[in-house]
Amino acid sequence: MYNQTAVPVHHRQKKAKRLMSLALLAAALAFSIIYVKFDLMEFLSGIPLFIRFIFADFLPPNMTNMNSYVRPVLDTLIFAVVGTFISSAIGLVIAFLMARNTSPHPVVRLVLRGIVSFVRNVPFLVWASLLVVIFGVGAMPGLFALLVFGICFLARVYAESIEELDKEATEALTASGASYGQLIRHAIIPQFMPGYYSWTLFMFEINIRASAILGLVGAGGIGSNLKQAMDLFQYGRASMIIVILIVLILAVEFLTQKIRERIL
Amino acid sequence: MQQGTPLQQYAPSQSGRRAGRSGKKIKIAHRKTQLQTRLFFTAAAVLFLVCISFLDLSWKQFHQGISSMPDIASKLMTISFEPFVQLVDGMLTSLIIAFLTVVLSVVISILLSFLIAENITPVKWLGRLLRYVLLIIRTIPTTIWVLLAVASMGFGSMAGVLGLLFPTSSYLIKAFAAQIEESSDDTIEAMRSVGASWLQIVFKGLLPGLILPFLAIISFRFEMEVAETVMLGMVGAGGIGVLLQDYISYYEFADLAMGIVIVFITIFAVELISNRVRSKLARR
Repeated sequence: MYNQTAVPVHHRQKKAKRLMSLALLAAALAFSIIYVKFDLMEFLSGIPLFIRFIFADFLPPNMTNMNSYVRPVLDTLIFAVVGTFISSAIGLVIAFLMARNTSPHPVVRLVLRGIVSFVRNVPFLVWASLLVVIFGVGAMPGLFALLVFGICFLARVYAESIEELDKEATEALTASGASYGQLIRHAIIPQFMPGYYSWTLFMFEINIRASAILGLVGAGGIGSNLKQAMDLFQYGRASMIIVILIVLILAVEFLTQKIRERIL
Repeated sequence: MQQGTPLQQYAPSQSGRRAGRSGKKIKIAHRKTQLQTRLFFTAAAVLFLVCISFLDLSWKQFHQGISSMPDIASKLMTISFEPFVQLVDGMLTSLIIAFLTVVLSVVISILLSFLIAENITPVKWLGRLLRYVLLIIRTIPTTIWVLLAVASMGFGSMAGVLGLLFPTSSYLIKAFAAQIEESSDDTIEAMRSVGASWLQIVFKGLLPGLILPFLAIISFRFEMEVAETVMLGMVGAGGIGVLLQDYISYYEFADLAMGIVIVFITIFAVELISNRVRSKLARR
């Protein structure tokens, strides 16, 4: 008896709640459209224009002068390797200082966590652009931007995977009187290795994508060629660069996938 | 004796025992893992050294950069509140671009994801073809999409929405399709056996159970989208990124500092809210 009356009331409440959230969504949508003066008709008519732009102006890719793309591609790969290597080394140290179960002192942990989350939450292109102002146009700001972002990203994900490790191994070692170094060497590292590999390989993938973008703010890599081609309206060249980029990214993803399968 | 034989197999050999007595360490690491670890790190180190030899970084540039750093840092410290209103307006525009993109993409993705999911797709080959197209769309970095949209539509928030629409939809379609494939085939089979049409299966059978997981995916994507829109302003897609890029290129570091603070607070808040939404959804 009691249930029979309770169910419809509950149901009606749920329905009201759903209506409320739909109304809120509609209000937010209306506000947004008015605020940015978003013209739906113009937007919809822009879509076919955009598609025509891609197929008529952009394609086919300009296949001539392929040699000029070799150097930027190599640069992009080099950036990614160097960036990943250095940031994984530094990120690892920071992660050990930052993870709850391996941090030497809570204050160290708190300070590092704050810095890392600050750097990570400000988009990476802002840092890159700032570094371009500091170091001038070229490869150097790009590499440093990759490092800044990579170190913070890796420190966070490494620290998270260290915190997720089993407590039993660490407890057993502490109980048998292991020192801090021994604890890390024999309890943390062996368990942490799979996470380390997969995040580091993931970082490499991100770095390939990122170094393609970095060029847009003048920080070297294949992105700077893309920006140049776009600015000069050489769309055939730009689309060739994008094709190369797609191939590069897919190849790297395939490669890291293979390495992952072999290792893990 | 019967118990002795297996034990003897594992007992250390004569030389091993001698080594143990002389204080040598007993190796406990798994051989194959150790080998793999060494191989991985050697390969990485070799690759790193080769790459760094190709990298031409000039010390002069580095030195100049480092020496100009204290100056820029001190300018950044004199944070200015003058452009606050302008920056908040820009940030709001960025948020709105992200919001509109996500809303439009969700509409597109819900329709297309049912075409792609293996267990419900009405036309198998079309679904597979779409999958490859989406893979390519997803591979092209978001920034490049926006660059293309800006080139075809001109600067502004509309170009931002258009540019973001492609990568966002393709991400959402993939995530939605994976979720649809995870839901059990029983519903589909049951509905099919009583003669429900494809649309009925999708809207009456599958969609009601999928709304919560979809919401979790959407809130995650929205969080990414906000960070993305801030960046995209820097290539001309409207929002706060345009202001940031201006401040950087005109060396107005005091204003830039304010901008960075606003961006940080907003993205942090969005992350917190979206985390809370997701944990609430997970509890249901």
